[in-house]
Amino acid sequence: MTAVIDRPAAVLPSRPLPDRRPPLARLVGLEIRKSLSTRSGIALAGAAAVLPAGAVALMMALNDTPPNAATMLALLGTLVSMLLIAVGVLSTAGEWTHGTVQTTFLAVPRRGRVLAAKYVGAALLGAAISAVVVGSTFAVAAIGADFSWTGAGAAAVATVAAGAALTVVGAGIGAAIGNAPAALTGTYLVLLVGMTVLNGAKPTWGKHVDPLAAMFDLVEGDATGRPIAVLAGWLVVSAIAGIAVTRRREIS
Amino acid sequence: MITVTGLTKRYADNTVVDDVSFALEPGTVTGFLGPNGAGKTTTMRMITGLVAPTAGEARIGGRRWVDLPNPAAVAGTLLDAGAVHPGRTGRTHLAILAATIGVPTRRVDELLDLVGLDDAGRRRIGGYSLGMRQRLGIAAALLADPPVLILDEPANGLDPEGIRWMRELLRERADRGGTVLLSSHLLGEVEHTVDRLVVIGAGKVVADGPIGALLAGDGMRVRAVDAGALAGSLRGAGLTVSVEGPALTVAGATAEQVGRIAAAGGHVLTDLRPADRGLEDLFFQLTA
Repeated sequence: MTAVIDRPAAVLPSRPLPDRRPPLARLVGLEIRKSLSTRSGIALAGAAAVLPAGAVALMMALNDTPPNAATMLALLGTLVSMLLIAVGVLSTAGEWTHGTVQTTFLAVPRRGRVLAAKYVGAALLGAAISAVVVGSTFAVAAIGADFSWTGAGAAAVATVAAGAALTVVGAGIGAAIGNAPAALTGTYLVLLVGMTVLNGAKPTWGKHVDPLAAMFDLVEGDATGRPIAVLAGWLVVSAIAGIAVTRRREIS
Repeated sequence: MITVTGLTKRYADNTVVDDVSFALEPGTVTGFLGPNGAGKTTTMRMITGLVAPTAGEARIGGRRWVDLPNPAAVAGTLLDAGAVHPGRTGRTHLAILAATIGVPTRRVDELLDLVGLDDAGRRRIGGYSLGMRQRLGIAAALLADPPVLILDEPANGLDPEGIRWMRELLRERADRGGTVLLSSHLLGEVEHTVDRLVVIGAGKVVADGPIGALLAGDGMRVRAVDAGALAGSLRGAGLTVSVEGPALTVAGATAEQVGRIAAAGGHVLTDLRPADRGLEDLFFQLTA
């Protein structure tokens, strides 16, 4: 350690900072940086972006009749969204699990502001990863012959938007539960088990509740209004729940 | 600079912090002492906005923590050195915090060098020892060179060289007009470092004042070659003497009084000093 006497003897603070809040844009950028600053975060984002290209190549190789762009994106986009939900959960609940929420809220005590930055950051990250999925899917599919591009443009837009929305849903759930393993386990139980049971027992209800099915329908082009309402409902409820719980939760 | 007024925290029917008030001025290092469970950490977390008080308030430079636009520029904190992501490097942890506060990245390298983590900064925090995490936490607290430091057990995990370095660092900050509030269980270290004490027991402040005044005893402690004869002379002069092992405690007497009585009786003294209490004695007396 260097000797303290080497330091200048200026009165504190020796280099005053402006007395203003960090801009929201800076906080958003830092939230994205936090998500990608650990090996787990990079692995998750990387897997979400890269694996679909391999899956497309496999599908093209195994099928005699290549599916069309919209169906392929619907399938891959929905699968990737399950990873994007985890990216969202870790951006919020991960901070509680590792205790870094203390550092975050000491530096930015207005918790609503922090969560707004996390939600925007999650949306941008989800959109970026989904855009890579779209690009890599189309790139691999274009190599094959007889690929139908019908509805590709709309499917691409829907994939990016729904991917962004589901990443924010994950962030809201993570903020509300505040524990990464519990949030992930609970979310996947509901989405993979609960929704499967609901779709089997009451398909009509399932169509209005299941967010992954809603994404599939939206990207494939089967419906627009209903899936958007389902995804918006999940986004609004999870985001509000995340903010409401986080503002009250003590960091002891 | 730090003003705490009637701070109270109640959970159901358990009051863990009970009407705590104190005011800390610039240029001082204050030790915040208390046994485990006394309410020190809860008090510090209420000051820093992590826990909402049931009653009362705390202000830093006249403002509540939540009203500070950029709190780390005003008060650096080290409340839990373990509250770091093990997957990040030390440098990344500091760089993210520096970017949040608005401090240039070169400050990160300056502080890593200051706390002796310049080589370890590029390694993942998961591989750090307790002392290394503590030093990383100190670096984080110093990022904006803030006028206030709030530290919970800052010497935890530090070796003797690190503890001495910490003591010099805190004194230097107080000499530059800074305000330091630190809690610690290392009473010996606190005694050498702080100007004043706030002692908390069962959620209440039981002592608050300059350390010299709190530890000052009444009278003199004296040792002599023939303690028994000296005791007789002192009692003969009307003084109250108590025997504590080989030492005599003379209540209400000055060094001159004891010295004159000893000289008149031909007693050979081997030690004569004020009968101050040790911090440990004060601590146990106040928090029993």
